[in-house]
This record gives sequence, C-alpha cells and structure tokens, in this order.
Amino acid sequence: MSTYKDRYKSADDGLRFQDLVYQGNFRGMDPVPDGILGDKILRQRAKSKVLEKVSKEDVLRDQFTVDELNDLNNYLAWNIWDVLVMRATEGVSGMIPRQEYEILAFMHEFYRWPEILEMTTNEIGAQGVMNIGATARREIGTKVNCVHDWCIGAVGFGMGRCGLLALEAIQPQDYVRESNIILKFMQRILWGKRQDGYILNSQDRYRCRIHEKDILDQLTGQIEYFDPGSDTHDALVRFNAAAELLSFLDHYDCRLGLGDTGPYELPDGKIMIIRDLFTNEEVYDWSDVCDHENVPHCYSLCLVIDPDKMGLSEIRVNDISTTFTRPKNYIEHIIGGAVFVREKWDTPMGEVYPVKISELEKRLEGIQQATFKLYTKFARMSRRTLITNGLYVYYIDMILPHLRLAGTYDKACKDYEFWEIDQRISNYYYDIVKRGFAQATVPQKIFSGEGYLPFPDNVSLTRSKYFWK
Amino acid sequence: MSYIAEGYNSFETKKTPSGIVKYLPDPKSVIALIQSGKLKEHILLVQGGTTTFLAPALSLGSIGVITMSGAPESHLGILSREFQMPCVMTAYLTGSESRYVTGGNNDAHFAAIIKALEGKKVQLHCEDRETGRVAVIA
Repeated sequence: MSTYKDRYKSADDGLRFQDLVYQGNFRGMDPVPDGILGDKILRQRAKSKVLEKVSKEDVLRDQFTVDELNDLNNYLAWNIWDVLVMRATEGVSGMIPRQEYEILAFMHEFYRWPEILEMTTNEIGAQGVMNIGATARREIGTKVNCVHDWCIGAVGFGMGRCGLLALEAIQPQDYVRESNIILKFMQRILWGKRQDGYILNSQDRYRCRIHEKDILDQLTGQIEYFDPGSDTHDALVRFNAAAELLSFLDHYDCRLGLGDTGPYELPDGKIMIIRDLFTNEEVYDWSDVCDHENVPHCYSLCLVIDPDKMGLSEIRVNDISTTFTRPKNYIEHIIGGAVFVREKWDTPMGEVYPVKISELEKRLEGIQQATFKLYTKFARMSRRTLITNGLYVYYIDMILPHLRLAGTYDKACKDYEFWEIDQRISNYYYDIVKRGFAQATVPQKIFSGEGYLPFPDNVSLTRSKYFWK
Repeated sequence: MSYIAEGYNSFETKKTPSGIVKYLPDPKSVIALIQSGKLKEHILLVQGGTTTFLAPALSLGSIGVITMSGAPESHLGILSREFQMPCVMTAYLTGSESRYVTGGNNDAHFAAIIKALEGKKVQLHCEDRETGRVAVIA
C-alpha cells in the first residue's frame, strides 16, 4: 500500500530524507529541515511574494526588488543544500578533480553569463525566453530541463556569488544589476516551462509534471509491460543504468547528463518517470568516442513504477532532475518501460523514434564500449586538462540549450568569446588549491548556507562593480 | 553475525554479494582489474563516492562496492541503485571510533579501513533501509 499521495495534501509536511538541518542567513531562528517542510518555512520567512505563485506579468517585469533578490538568494541557498548536502560527503573522485573545476566554473559563470544572457534576452525578448522554457512541455531529449534551468540561478548566481564572496573578490553590494539579469533569465525559463506560477519543483512538493497530455499519450502508447525480475525487466534496467553512467561520464561526473520529469500518474494508478539520458553531447571534443560507437545524443526512457507494491511513501523529482524515493529502491518495482532515441540535439520531435526493449542489446554494447574508451581517454589526461574540461562542461552546458534555442549560441561564441576563460578565473586557478579553498572552504560556505550573504537593504538595483582592490 | 564495517546503505536489497576486497587507488588499477577478467571475484573498495572513477567496473558488472566517503545521494550511490549493485557508503570500522570528516584530513582513517579490509573475503548485507554492513566470511 502506498501513502505517497498524502504528501500532496496541503497540511502535510513530507518526510525527512536526512537528519541534517540548514541555518543559512537565518541566524537566531530555528534551523530548517529538508523537503516539503523546509519549503514551507522558507516561504514563511520571505519578505516578498516571489516564492509564491507569480503571474506572467510579474515574470515579464525586468527588475526584481531587493527583497525579491534576497528571498531568491535564501531560497536557492536552502534548495542547493536540500538537494546536494549529502552528495557533498562524497570526497575526491580519484579520476576527475570535480571540486576544483566546479568552483572555478561557478565563479566564471557569475562573471561571464550576465552579458551573454542579457544579449540573448535583447535578441528574443522576455517573452522569447519564456517560450524557450515552454518548449520542454512538448519535447523529450531536451536539455531545457530542471537541472539546466535551475543551474542558471542556483549555480551561476548562487554558488558563483558565494564563491567570489568567500574568495573576498567581491562584496555583498557588488553586481546587483548582473544578479538581476541572471535570476530574471532563470525565472522566465522555469516559469515558461512549468506554467503553474511556480518556478521550482520543491515549491510543488517535488513534482515536475510539465508534459502536455497529447505528448504523454504518445509516449505511453509505446510502453511494454513486464513482470519485475523478468528478462525484459532486467534488460531495461541494465540499459537504463549503463546509459545513465555514460551520461555522467560524458558530462564529467555531473548531473547535466540526466533529466527526470514526473511523477505522472497513469489511469491505472501506476506512476511514470520520464528520464532523458544525454549520452553524446556533440559540443565536447571528447564525445568523439561516442560518435565512433554510434551513440545518439539522447536516450529517453519511460519508467512505470508500481507504487503500491513498493509501499511508496514519498517520491521527489528534485530540481537537479534526479528522482529519490522512500523506500529507496524503486528499480525492482518497475513494471513497464519504453525507450526513445533522439539522434541529435536538434532532431525534430517527429523524428524521435522508439526502440523495443528486446532490441537494446547492441545499443548497450555501444554504450559500454564508449564508456570504456572515454574512461581510458580521461585516465591519460593531465589534471589541468581535466579541470579545464570540467569547467567548460559547467560554464558552457548549463546555458547551452537556451542559447541554442534562442539562436544566440554562435553570436555568444563569436562576439562574446564564450569559449574563452576570463583572466581573473585563470588566476584563481592557483588560489583555489591553497588552504583547502576548493575542497573545504567553499563547500563549507555553500552547504552551511553562511556564504550566501544578502544584498544590503538600501543597495542600488543598478549597482555593478567598478572598484577593485 | 558480526560485522567488521558498516555505513550508509545505498538502497535496500536482498542481494548479499561476497568476494575478496580489492582496494582501487587510481584509474590504472581499475583498468587493470577489468583487463584481468576477475572483476566479479571482488568487492571493490574505493575512497570516493563519485561515479566516474568506477565507471568501467560498474558498466561491466561489478558485484558490490564499499566506499569510504559519499552517501546514497552521491553519484555513485545513485548509479549503484540503478545497477542494483549493493553499495555500503562512508564505511567505518565497527571496532573503531574513527569516522570520515567531510573536507577534513582523512588519510589515517582511510588507511586503517584499507588495512582492515583489503584481501579479506567479505559479504555485503544491505537489507536495512539506512545501514549497509560488511561481514568477514573467511
């Protein structure tokens, strides 16, 4: 018997997925837990209405107030903690220096994205940005998804500003104008995608049910049903895992390769997760090994789960596109599935095609070969090359899908030198390895929440930064 | 049954894989293990909870993993669930007070775990919702 629907009742506070609590900028107040209750508390403590359902007119307005900026700052800081604090215990990779590339990328994004996002907004208009978000409602295999859209604000603004504050490169009153540009872009994309007034899944009890009904009907029409533990079940699970692993690897051990939406309740009470696994991103030169194995840009999977057999008590599709459940093991309760292929990022939806589960074996071999070749390639790379590549994965890929659809990617490359690394960031490369800055200081600032300093109440909304010391 | 180590359980499973613990310090050791053809004879012991480090081992069917850092929300935790491969994370020795500290110097902690586990035949027990356990069976 499942109880997960109880989580959707307004009085319900959800389950706790972890024992840790969050303090952030709320010194002297009760700490905040994870999950639905944490969202409720953050909204109660907000000074503005920006964390409630907002209207299209609100989103089209070009300027946040200081209170709205600070409420978004606080909420994103908690949200980052909510989805990542336990992941942060994972330590060093042994393969890819992720903490180092992450912090450099955060800061690079905060410096470089504002003018590129402003240029894009100027090119297509605020409504055009919202329309990009809305494309995700009618597509699978699109990187206009939770994790990319969330990263615009949570990573580019939140963690980028947090890292630069920790490095004492900037002050809390700096870059207000640029912060507004980043957060407005994020809000417009996410609002256009959800169209229910919210921007984040955590505001909607961790649901991301964005796809239009006719799209869902097309997808569910391809689902094959099977018994858990059957050969067909095992084949689908093996394929899902292997493709997910390659997606992580092609994206340098980060979650940009994975995109879940759902849970969608089916007429018979079962629930479905739609999962995009981006197994071959053509913008990366190392993806040539994926080309050699004929691995497509994206495999999209529909996974049908029996919530009653599982005894499902909560399911979260969080804002970094990852599904977590209680109990944790939903895999053994998958009773149906379908696999779709999107060969290239711009393959029209009409040309996305299904593959029978019985025909996945050869594709699985290609994925395994690409995984081993990619691993061997990475194992030969220098630490510096790995950090540089990882920086590009974050800095380029997080806004790549939006620039592609806006038609401004080429302009960003040509006129804004999108693929160049800012000299300040190049210099920080040497600073971040000193005194545990990347591996201890920044993670502590990010995951305690104490690094997300608020903007001063009386700060000018047009203030940038003109003074360096 | 007595357990030599325990940690976070990546996901609940009745699988109880057993094998000789093999510590993998670097990518070369991962590649060498794959090429030896003996991947499935071993429970893999690794320092981090990231997933790329073990990528080819996961892809080719490793039977169980013990990590010395990380959690079910870490990428390796997620992938172990997807592969249905039991995984005990941020393992510590039950006979020791030493624990992993995020961002701290854990060298001595890791060394003690490696010394206690490497080369031993162990079995993973991961039925509990929260705790995964490691038993020495020979």
